[in-house]
Amino acid sequence: MSEPIEPQVPETAPEALAGPYVYDYAASPQRQIVMPKTVPLPSLKTYQAEVIAAAAADEAKWQKQQADFEVAKAKAEAEGKDAPKPPVRAVPRKDDNDMKTPWPVEAKDADLLKLQELLGDKVEEIFEQAGELVCQVKKEAIFEALKACREEVSLKYEMLADQSATHYPAAKDFAFSVVYHLTSISRSKRLRLRILIPEGFIPQSACELYPSANWMEREIYDMLGIRFAEHPDMTRILCPEDWEGYPLRKEYPTVGWGQRDIDFRDDRGGVLNRLAMEKAGQMGINLKQPKAE
Amino acid sequence: MGVNQPTALEHVLITTKVEKVINWARASSVWPMTFGLACCAIEMMAAGASKFDFDRFGAGIFRATPRQSDLMIVAGTVTYKMAPVIKKLYDQMPEPKWVIAMGSCATAGGPFDSYHTIQGVDKVVPVDVYIPGCPPRPESLIYGFMKLQDKIMTSSIADRYKEIFEEVG
Repeated sequence: MSEPIEPQVPETAPEALAGPYVYDYAASPQRQIVMPKTVPLPSLKTYQAEVIAAAAADEAKWQKQQADFEVAKAKAEAEGKDAPKPPVRAVPRKDDNDMKTPWPVEAKDADLLKLQELLGDKVEEIFEQAGELVCQVKKEAIFEALKACREEVSLKYEMLADQSATHYPAAKDFAFSVVYHLTSISRSKRLRLRILIPEGFIPQSACELYPSANWMEREIYDMLGIRFAEHPDMTRILCPEDWEGYPLRKEYPTVGWGQRDIDFRDDRGGVLNRLAMEKAGQMGINLKQPKAE
Repeated sequence: MGVNQPTALEHVLITTKVEKVINWARASSVWPMTFGLACCAIEMMAAGASKFDFDRFGAGIFRATPRQSDLMIVAGTVTYKMAPVIKKLYDQMPEPKWVIAMGSCATAGGPFDSYHTIQGVDKVVPVDVYIPGCPPRPESLIYGFMKLQDKIMTSSIADRYKEIFEEVG
């Protein structure tokens, strides 16, 4: 008979456990968290830096190959053997685009240039990727940027199609990105506005300009814990009101803090019963049973 | 020979137990509650429609309120947010009442091994019949319902009393 396999439990709990949630990781190895180590934020600057780094690495490799060849050649001459083959520098294939994501390129679209002209130094970065327009603005100026997109005659982005956010725990200078997916129905164009915000920053709500932002900002708050200033109703929308934690943060375990394991037959410590009693009391009904001797 | 001959009275009378009559009446008129949580509800509707005709078993009348229904078919994923609602609806149903957990989600959480899904509706309410499948075909639901009818026919009021007042206490 084989013994049950001991679960592999890390000696130290993950660092990023903020808040009042304490979970016993030894109890369930499923709830271990693997925090991502990279920041896969699409951006023109990072792409250019990656290209330069890759070229430098390629050049260094070539230099090392040549130096190794010189050493081997001198050694072969000293020993009277045949000279080794000289190294051949690998030429990258021209159509080597398979299985690669489209890379960001310089912005040429008139909308992005117009936006940069309007906002000036409040724009951090503009680029195009796979024909889609991306504009990253300063986090304090997001409302101004949205207003420009909505009200400027040459832009006229009438619709906020989607608003999303992502958690980047490995990034140093920001924690979340909030992306506004704008659509211009009259001009058949799409534009993304993006801000990068640190933990605890409260960006301006877009509800005043785009009423559809109401529920999407509530969902972002529910899932990631980003609050929005001047939002009419900043409450949870999908999770229950008594939910602990923000499920789409990377430090949140995939099977949760144990909420799903609660046995509702136990009435959660009499919470439901107490609520029912209170409600009945407000309506003038006495639900309390007379106790037997 | 004359011993086994039925008398004139027995020709017109059927003798049986009251309990059996009550069980027969209950099993032949189980009114389910209209309660669909996810895609399984579509199959439940198909079972109620004319091709499969749930009404053959006396269960075609889907009531819109728990106070008029005997059976709760939990058809779909039970989330953490929905669980207190299910509990409340179950408590509002009058006795005798039964629960069918339809589909893998309601029986064991299904594919949603995740933070928000209750791993089986039996953590919320007591379940009589579990129907596997993702989603189960209407035939499966009808078979599960027939199993429930068998259970009702073999149940006794004394057992039910014990279940409610003595074991749970």
